[in-house]
Amino acid sequence: MTKVTHEVARELEAFVIQEARLADESKYQEWEDLWADDGVYWVPLREGDDPTQKVSHLYDNRTRLATRIRQLKTGYRYSQLPVSGMRRVISNFEYAEEVNGCFQVEANFFLPEYSIQSVHDFRVWSGRVIYTLSRRENTFQIHMKKIVLVNGAEPVPTMSFLI
Amino acid sequence: MTTNIDYNHLVQADKIHGSLYTSDDIYADELEKIFHNSWVYVGHESEIKKTGDYITREIGRSSVIMVRDKSGSINVHANRCMHRGNMLCNEGEGNKRNFTCPYHGWVFGLDGALMDVAYPGGFDKPLDELNLQTLVTDSYRGFVFASFIQPAISFDDYLGNAKSLIDRSCEMSPNGKIDLKGGWIRQRFDSNWKMLPENDTDGYHVNYVHQSFVMAIDSQYGEFVGAEDSVKGVIKDWGNGHTEIDFSAGYAKTLDWLGSTPEKVKSYVDSMREAYGREKADKILYDGPPHACIFPNLFLGEMNIVIFQPTGTNSSVQWSTPMFLDGAPELDFKLLRQSEGALGPAAFLLADDATIAERAQKALLAGDPWCDLSRGLQRETTDENGVITSHMTDETSNRGFWHHYRSVMAGER
Repeated sequence: MTKVTHEVARELEAFVIQEARLADESKYQEWEDLWADDGVYWVPLREGDDPTQKVSHLYDNRTRLATRIRQLKTGYRYSQLPVSGMRRVISNFEYAEEVNGCFQVEANFFLPEYSIQSVHDFRVWSGRVIYTLSRRENTFQIHMKKIVLVNGAEPVPTMSFLI
Repeated sequence: MTTNIDYNHLVQADKIHGSLYTSDDIYADELEKIFHNSWVYVGHESEIKKTGDYITREIGRSSVIMVRDKSGSINVHANRCMHRGNMLCNEGEGNKRNFTCPYHGWVFGLDGALMDVAYPGGFDKPLDELNLQTLVTDSYRGFVFASFIQPAISFDDYLGNAKSLIDRSCEMSPNGKIDLKGGWIRQRFDSNWKMLPENDTDGYHVNYVHQSFVMAIDSQYGEFVGAEDSVKGVIKDWGNGHTEIDFSAGYAKTLDWLGSTPEKVKSYVDSMREAYGREKADKILYDGPPHACIFPNLFLGEMNIVIFQPTGTNSSVQWSTPMFLDGAPELDFKLLRQSEGALGPAAFLLADDATIAERAQKALLAGDPWCDLSRGLQRETTDENGVITSHMTDETSNRGFWHHYRSVMAGER
């Protein structure tokens, strides 16, 4: 792992901010288009869990990720009907370049969600997000997005939005 | 707790009263009669394999510790120091040589015996007067149940026909044993706990609550959402509040329930045939695991084990873990991913169940308080063992749950 230049860091940050906005706004197709064919979208219960041994909140390969988006787009996914109001803040970025040319970006996030589907609760989600990205044309693609919630092993309410 | 609540009025043959979900008095009464005085599922032996292994669980309003002691026996203790009431175990699982209270250092053995008191010069009572409160405990094929007092009904009578449901879960393994080591997802519902067992064996909602699932995903459940006449699954009331959706008659091929084929999981099929003989193994592999609730808080959710935890009149937590099969570790990865797909806050199914339950919790306060549960009353059949069977979409299971609930709450069981 090596450090990245200031310019590359700014490019990576801009990509992550764009990804966050598409998730916040439930722009399902545009968000899905950011993913590489080998993408893995993963929310473990806790840091250090091995997904071959322990259950996760979600551990989507690219096929299941497409299924997730397809379900959200049916118009009958009641747990996102209507979609949650969300505006996440991402900060404390750290960047590295791997030997294979992929980039790793880590950051903290703070995600206020207005859960409008049943309880009309204002909820706060928080944790660490870790991306593995590579260059694709003029932008990047996502090989891995791992979200480690600070309370993932505790009772968690509905989380069917894009986290 | 003495109450003036007339459960025979609130639960009738064909309808129930909405206050059963929304009344704080009824909830308090349930914590006493169901979650304190009766058999409740606590955990599985495979979760505490070695001496000193423990898990903590919430039974009604009480935290309890389930631990394997030095003799190999399993004990369930109240998670409360007998001195001044502090919590002995703050973690959900772990291994201990003994339980030391962090407040004043009292030490209890794994069997619950008070072993040592700090600064004993000032303490005159015999130690054995202050052993931990140990619950009445019994188990069937590794499923451990407990009660704070000796229940009016024996463990055998309580489980009744549900033994055959547990047998069917265990017999999915070539060794006859399940292994719950995959970790627990805990999903919060802002709804009364009873909506969870009710919904989990409700065969009527699949086409509606899970319409997005049916549209987006090609699964075995697609065989259960056609026209009324084409749905071959059946609903069962096994008695004592134990209920089931039996999908087996609707499956189209062997291993439908796993979304797999005998070729893809050949080593599993071979070991099952070796263990049970070809005929019985092939029937198990066709029929699949049960989809059944054991009153009040255990759900044998096909290849998952689920626990219902009440946390308030208007809130509950559903625990879920994949049901790994001893002797078939090659299925673990698939079972993990299937469990995530079905159960939990981000899952394709349960996320929507929670939202619908939460809407019900609000809507039940509006207008006419009654909920109709008459569906299928005219077409049920009862067999020689008293098991009632009907069309998968019928409310036979819901009636089974509520009529047993009524007998428990009215003090008849």
